[in-house]
Amino acid sequence: MVTVRFSELTEEEKYNHFMERIENDEKIEADDWMPDEYRNALIKLISSHGISEIMGALPEKEWVPKAPTINRKLSIMAKVQDEMGHGQLLLRVNEDLIKPLGRNRENVMNDLFTKKLKFHNVFHMPSPTWADAAIIAWLVDGAAILTQTMMLKTSYGPYGRALKRICQEESFHAKHGESLTLALASGTSNQKQMLQESLNRWWESLLMFFGPKSKKDIGSSSVDINIKYKLRTKTNEQLRQEFLTKYVPKIKLLGLTIPDETLRFDEEKEEWIYREPDWKKFKQVVSGNGPKSEERIALRRDSYKNNEWVRNALAAYHQKNRVFAG
Amino acid sequence: MSEEKFYEEFEVFSRKKDGLALEHKFSLLAPNREMAFVMAKENFFRREPIKELWVVKRSEIRMMGQEEREGFKKLDNKHYRETKGYTDLPKKWKKFQEKAK
Repeated sequence: MVTVRFSELTEEEKYNHFMERIENDEKIEADDWMPDEYRNALIKLISSHGISEIMGALPEKEWVPKAPTINRKLSIMAKVQDEMGHGQLLLRVNEDLIKPLGRNRENVMNDLFTKKLKFHNVFHMPSPTWADAAIIAWLVDGAAILTQTMMLKTSYGPYGRALKRICQEESFHAKHGESLTLALASGTSNQKQMLQESLNRWWESLLMFFGPKSKKDIGSSSVDINIKYKLRTKTNEQLRQEFLTKYVPKIKLLGLTIPDETLRFDEEKEEWIYREPDWKKFKQVVSGNGPKSEERIALRRDSYKNNEWVRNALAAYHQKNRVFAG
Repeated sequence: MSEEKFYEEFEVFSRKKDGLALEHKFSLLAPNREMAFVMAKENFFRREPIKELWVVKRSEIRMMGQEEREGFKKLDNKHYRETKGYTDLPKKWKKFQEKAK
């Protein structure tokens, strides 16, 4: 039995040992030695995933008071609560990663408020009708399920465990979305039109959701690093193709028209051909300049500020108890 | 005021049903035990029923370091502690049975 004495290894030996563990599909834990590149890739990935869950609850939360029936209200409320819960899990995973850098939850929230921490493009968009609640739950969550399922086997143990839990709950979200969509698609002509208009609004954002094909489109990408460290296994384009294969036939079956007349499956290349989304617009949106960016970030900022007195009271209480404890 | 002053890490454990061992669920940040307990219920048990729920301050748990974890990896010299260290017994019994014939 060979015991690795970490204190006796050089940096290079530590790195090689780490990569050997990655190659052997071992899971890395929070306090394991890891190269800075790995830690930084994890922080970038998980903090934006976590904050996207929280910001992602906001477009749907707008529909909780306006849901058409009590059952719909219960299920959309449960979904909003789940998304917030997912945010809690992921931010927790992130906190253990940023702790050695002297950073904490407060810093993450402030990064959101100053737009340094980015969240998914789809959550910067408006959700003006009940059909948007349906399209979000069916297709945005559908897209998220593909991405998250791909990462279930991620090399970082705590992230994988969080994703396992998240994916279980997402399967309820997808059913909820299907249920909303099927109701509208088999409803009155007004309801069908509302659904079609919502699909028109969301289509480009849905294609953008997976990110650009290559880093040329937006100038940077962490896909290669994430694949090298087995954080993910598929490229953005592979996921987008999977999404199209899974959902295009279903969308057509409902009698909806996809707002891209160039969309077709190329039998020879065995891939979907589609109109390239406007990646400049994508970059602009995720940088916090989308139609609803300001409003939703402000909602978070206000809520964080309104609850400040609670945190202050807890800090004072903690301080007082420490004094008594000597 | 900085948050790190009062937030502490808690580890959450639960027992799914009678007869099963407690299982580690996840961790969370909370200012005290009672809030950790409430948050554990909210965060992890919105659906499934459970028999038992514990929250433990992480700082109270003696965890392993990486060296210790890796040291546990291979227990390849402990057959004498397991049944597989005693596979020669049937052969020996057979000899006695043959002798008794």
